[in-house]
Amino acid sequence: MIKKIKISTSERIILVFITILAIFSLTSFLLIKEKCLFVKKYNPYNIQFDNPQNIAVLNADCGNVIIELYPSVSPNSVKRFKTLIRSGAYDETAFHRVIENKLIQAGDLEFGKRENLDYGKVGTGKSGLGTIKSELDAEFKYLRGHVGMARTFKMNTEDSQFFIILQDEPLFEGEYTPIGKVLYGIEVLEKVKFMPKFHIVPRPDFINYLKMLN
Amino acid sequence: MIIFRVFLLFFILITSVKANTIYDLIKIPNLEIYKINTTNNLRYLYATKPFRLGVNIKKNIHCFDSDKKTLDKKYKIISKNLNRYSSDFLKKINLKYIVLCENLSIAKINTAGIPNNLTRTLILDIKFNETYFERAIHHEVFHIINDSYKELFKENEWKNFNKENFKYSECSTCNNKWNLSLYLETKGFFSQYSKSTVSEDMAEVFSHLMFYQNEINNEDLIINKKIKFIKENISKIDDSFNF
Repeated sequence: MIKKIKISTSERIILVFITILAIFSLTSFLLIKEKCLFVKKYNPYNIQFDNPQNIAVLNADCGNVIIELYPSVSPNSVKRFKTLIRSGAYDETAFHRVIENKLIQAGDLEFGKRENLDYGKVGTGKSGLGTIKSELDAEFKYLRGHVGMARTFKMNTEDSQFFIILQDEPLFEGEYTPIGKVLYGIEVLEKVKFMPKFHIVPRPDFINYLKMLN
Repeated sequence: MIIFRVFLLFFILITSVKANTIYDLIKIPNLEIYKINTTNNLRYLYATKPFRLGVNIKKNIHCFDSDKKTLDKKYKIISKNLNRYSSDFLKKINLKYIVLCENLSIAKINTAGIPNNLTRTLILDIKFNETYFERAIHHEVFHIINDSYKELFKENEWKNFNKENFKYSECSTCNNKWNLSLYLETKGFFSQYSKSTVSEDMAEVFSHLMFYQNEINNEDLIINKKIKFIKENISKIDDSFNF
């Protein structure tokens, strides 16, 4: 005859505890995996802008980054940036250089495209439109969220690559051509994939699209 | 080929990031900002740890970090001298970053400074011989000027100022016995170091003009020709420049 053993109170408590722990672990795992969960979403069409003709919208995995461009500060660089945006050139290009909480760089149109990403060369690609001169005459303090044109070690080599800084960078003033500032959505950039201690991001995140508001 | 690519990719990926803005800008490691908001827009940086530099794996340029007291003391002297150069002039000659460190050497030979007009940087040894320290700052600034305007400071023209039988040494760092003391009787050269190379001779003339300013009253014809040459060419770079 099988004797039925009644579950004790302490066993019941342990069972409940293990069940709660399992639920908590599973939920945490799912939440952590969903990196965009707490990122605020911005719809540029619901926001009023003073200069909508200078608003660019960069869409990444976690949402929109809304950038105001400064044609009065760097007319040639902004013109180049707008030209490339309007041609759709930046769509599907990698955030190839990401330094945690510091800087995020993209815009290699030659070696940074999703369909032909070249890890050996990414960061060295060109747009085909030639280089433009650095525009550094205006006083400009680089603060968190500012956008600048990337260049090689030499001046006057700006082309298509750009960077957005995630912290103030006083040494950038007079070194890199400023082209704008992130108005909304910098949190989206903080979620872009990076690799601690590595220069190039393996299997990087991509710009889904970059377009002008108007 | 696949193995080679995998190896290449691995090599690229293991290159650690020097996530350092200063390093990205001037390719010198272990530096921090000392002062950047200056009247002539020079940016002063200091070594937090020893660093080595060089074009190949030998890295024969070596400099050490310094204590705060020495830095503060020498910064005052350095900035007093460098403030004589306007922001416009510094921009024209490609000088923006001043690196402060001590016991600077190249190929184990101590030197007052190492200029690099491509990185717009001048490394200064703040423990350099105090007798010549201030003058040496201007000496090194001239090297930046010279490197940025090679077409103005023609070496053959300069050589013709000297006596026919005079020959400069092969290089300025071939030995460490060059003396910076001012000759009592110049005979075409301000110091023994002037005799090392054309560019060092030019730099010595420039540094004397900057440091002694109007105290130079020389009847040495060769020196006077050299002074005229330096002044004329500096005014071609910036006609508002004052010695």
